[in-house]
Amino acid sequence: MPSLLAPWFLLGLAALAVPVLVHLTHRERKAVLRFPSLMFLERIPYQSVKRQRIRNLLLFALRCAAVALLVLAFARPFLARRSALLGATTGARDVVVLLDRSYSMAYGDRWTRARSAARRVVEGLGGEDRGAVVYFDDAAAATGPLTSDRSALLAAVDSVRPTAGGTRYDAALRVAGQILGDTAHERREVVLISDAQRAGWNRRELPALPGGVRLVQVNVGDGVTSDVAVTAVEVRHEGGIAGAGATAGITGSAGASGTNPDRSGAQRHTATVVARLANRSADSVSARTVTLEVNGRVQQSVVTDIPPNGTAMARFDALPLPDGVSRGTVRAGADALEPDNTFHFTLTRTPSLPVILLESSSTAPGAGLFVGRALSIGNRPSFDVTTARGSGLTLAALRGARLVILNDAPVPGGEAGRRLLDYVSGGGGLLIALGAHSRPDDWPELSDRLLPRLAAPIDRLDTHGATLGFLDRTHPIFNVFSTPHSGDFSAARFYRYWNVTPAPGDRELARFDDGHVALLERRVGRGRVLVLTSALDGVWSDFPLQPIFLPVLREAATYAAGYSETRPWAVVGDVTTIAASATPAVAVAPSGTRLHLGTSGEPAALQLAEQGFYEIRPDRGASDSTRVVAVNVDLAESDLAPLDTALFAAAVAPLATATGSRRPSETISPAELERRQRTWWFLLLAALLVLGAETVLSNRLPRQAR
Amino acid sequence: MRIDSLRARSDGARSGEVEAGTAPADATTFLDPAVLSRIGNLELLARTVVEGFINGLHRSPHLGMSLDFAEHRAYMPGDDIRRIDWRLWARTDRYYIKEFEADTNTNFSILLDVSASMSYGSGAVTKLDYAKYLAACLAWFAHGQRDRVGLVTFDADIVEFVPPSAKHLSAVLHIIARARAEHPGKLREPLVKLSEHVRRRSMILLISDLYAEPDQVLDALEHLRQRGNDVMVVHVLDPAELEFPFDETGTFEDIETGERIPLVPGRLREKYRAMIRAHIAELGRRIGEQNMDYTMFDTSRPLDYALFDFLSRRERLIRVR
Repeated sequence: MPSLLAPWFLLGLAALAVPVLVHLTHRERKAVLRFPSLMFLERIPYQSVKRQRIRNLLLFALRCAAVALLVLAFARPFLARRSALLGATTGARDVVVLLDRSYSMAYGDRWTRARSAARRVVEGLGGEDRGAVVYFDDAAAATGPLTSDRSALLAAVDSVRPTAGGTRYDAALRVAGQILGDTAHERREVVLISDAQRAGWNRRELPALPGGVRLVQVNVGDGVTSDVAVTAVEVRHEGGIAGAGATAGITGSAGASGTNPDRSGAQRHTATVVARLANRSADSVSARTVTLEVNGRVQQSVVTDIPPNGTAMARFDALPLPDGVSRGTVRAGADALEPDNTFHFTLTRTPSLPVILLESSSTAPGAGLFVGRALSIGNRPSFDVTTARGSGLTLAALRGARLVILNDAPVPGGEAGRRLLDYVSGGGGLLIALGAHSRPDDWPELSDRLLPRLAAPIDRLDTHGATLGFLDRTHPIFNVFSTPHSGDFSAARFYRYWNVTPAPGDRELARFDDGHVALLERRVGRGRVLVLTSALDGVWSDFPLQPIFLPVLREAATYAAGYSETRPWAVVGDVTTIAASATPAVAVAPSGTRLHLGTSGEPAALQLAEQGFYEIRPDRGASDSTRVVAVNVDLAESDLAPLDTALFAAAVAPLATATGSRRPSETISPAELERRQRTWWFLLLAALLVLGAETVLSNRLPRQAR
Repeated sequence: MRIDSLRARSDGARSGEVEAGTAPADATTFLDPAVLSRIGNLELLARTVVEGFINGLHRSPHLGMSLDFAEHRAYMPGDDIRRIDWRLWARTDRYYIKEFEADTNTNFSILLDVSASMSYGSGAVTKLDYAKYLAACLAWFAHGQRDRVGLVTFDADIVEFVPPSAKHLSAVLHIIARARAEHPGKLREPLVKLSEHVRRRSMILLISDLYAEPDQVLDALEHLRQRGNDVMVVHVLDPAELEFPFDETGTFEDIETGERIPLVPGRLREKYRAMIRAHIAELGRRIGEQNMDYTMFDTSRPLDYALFDFLSRRERLIRVR
């Protein structure tokens, strides 16, 4: 049965009047011909154009046919098979229920309505009908294969609860497509029960359902919503390190141990928490109580107003931080959507990295003044510097240190040297500043494994010193200086430096203007060794007196110590890794579920699926090595803006399967049928042929007859 | 002159016209040596007696010095005794003065129609260009036979007027070069006005496309003719005006009036041709009846040939008389 997909285009048949008029009026050339005088022409009773007759019927017919074919092509005709158009109206069905369980479904009574709708769908299945329940949030999973057991399906519906995850329609549609792709039943449906959140579709291409699958959307969303969410928390640390224990007991055999004089004694460490709140409704929120909990106890409360569709800040007073990791939670009262009212984070004291500053026993006291002062400034991270002399590095001291600095000191020999090598190979950091007391002739053999071979010092006093000519700004140490005006390295003058010969594998991070190495990195085992070929004493160079010295030394120390900041919270769906040294491990989810992770010596990964605090600790280790991960919901999900369901349905419109194994009784929409037949294409081709014939004929006819 | 050379010179003439607004146009632009050499051995003689001051080629209404004997008359005191016919005195014993016919020069005025319809040209040469060549050549030619040359350009009124003078050739040529056909034209009013300014019997050459009824044309010419002038009419037409070769249906616009009528030319062609031929024949007949010369110039015809035909035919007619 011939049909048209766009019958209104038939109005274009009115264009048939064009060739008729052309042939009748014969006025296709509109140019005005200027003539000296119409004196004689006016005397002749000229023939009105209306009196013209159609002169060339074949030409006329071709033109009419071309217009008609074009109009018909735009009307997009197709041959409709009744069975194809109507689809299968009888017979067994396969129904997949896609049930949204993202945390936005916890808004109001959405979940109750959604579950009721799912139950109705299951209860509506006929005797031979089969169904499957797929629940989805960030990911989708089927409760089982297609089954006719309605009780099992109802149980599956009842077993599902909203999670802390977000919404991703594409995952759900993909699973539904897989389930329905290989079924034998002719009638197939996908029932999508969700709150139709726009956030669930990022407007990228959605997986198309198999051809003939009918999509039914059940929207349990609300027209007008209101929600207050805690979107972020900022923790501002104040104060220095706490506890006298920061002065690690390092005893040198030759020298006296000591501590940085500014860091002696305990300091109070406080943190100020500022929470950002967002009001996602058209009504303002007034007098909303926001509380701060630390380790489960309410510490402070503030009352704030939030403008409509605006944000507000809740600022809490500074509070002292206890040792270890504290669990912080900001709660912004109660509303229809609870999960985003709570924000978890971890509070830790700014880490203090133990550093051993080793100096030569022959150097004057205070030689490490510049290094100690530079590392004592700042608290992200703070350094706990302990000065030692001689070669008496004890095993206990090395075990607690994150970094050893050889400041114009020789590599210790003997047992201390081996301990240092083991320390670096095991992941410790070593920063070597070569100076006048660096006498390679007296160094032990193992020093070749820690630093490159030294030739002789180069004296540049006669040329007013050397400057840094090359910096590897891609390296983490210099990366912060990669932008313009981020530090003037040319001001530093180096009057003496050692000529070192890098070994294969060494990475040159900086060079002087004459090409000699200024800073070099070597990997020894799992540890990092940084070698600065000039001393940090203010004599061999004025580098310690330059403004660039402080950030460079701190970046170098942080890098050599292998320190990196950790985020105080994660988002549901993130994956956290457990280092191989911590496995096997046990993770305790916020719900209390215990998860055993990894095997010994192998790193493991944990997907954070719940909101709250995860505890991760070694399976049989000490409890003080417990790691706490705060997990919050994805705030994109708290955006309850509705989806354009029509657009969504169009995006997942049933298309033909690639295999072409469609059965004749499948439901095919007229648009799909027309798209497959492509009759318009043939009509357009025919119109082009007719126009070509018209052109040929027109050119062959005398001009008078066209 | 072949049409090619005419076309090339026509292009030059146009450029001269364009420059006329800022600098004097080349006065000799429309003088073609080929045309002049072709007609160089001919004479443009007045068919009527004309009045002049010096000896020339034309018959003067007065008696004077020439080889042609006119009459004898009785001697009157004061007559030049050298003109006494002594042979007649010997026979009759009376004094008679022998008088001869006088040959004199004349005024040669060219009336050049510069109405907008003259700007039409189906080919490279417009009627005005053709008329300019014609006027320039004849002005040069007349000047060469010591006639006084003048020029009048007109459309609905007199546009430029250069009185006949032996010294006005360059001015005439300048005016010819500068002439533009831009405005609607009339025939009777300017010619009547001009006839009032012609004091001496002259040769008058009218160059026009004569888009007027024959009665109107004759009425206009009659005013000139009644003054005793020798009037020559050169009817300049484009071949498209003669043949009406148009095929495409379209709107025809009158160049002068802007009037438009939609036409199917193929259906009108034969009728138009018949009408234009009748018009030409009517003009030729009636102008000839008034003892004036009429010649139709087709702009597709080389000017030297057309001009040669015109002058030689005129010479023959004068000899016959």
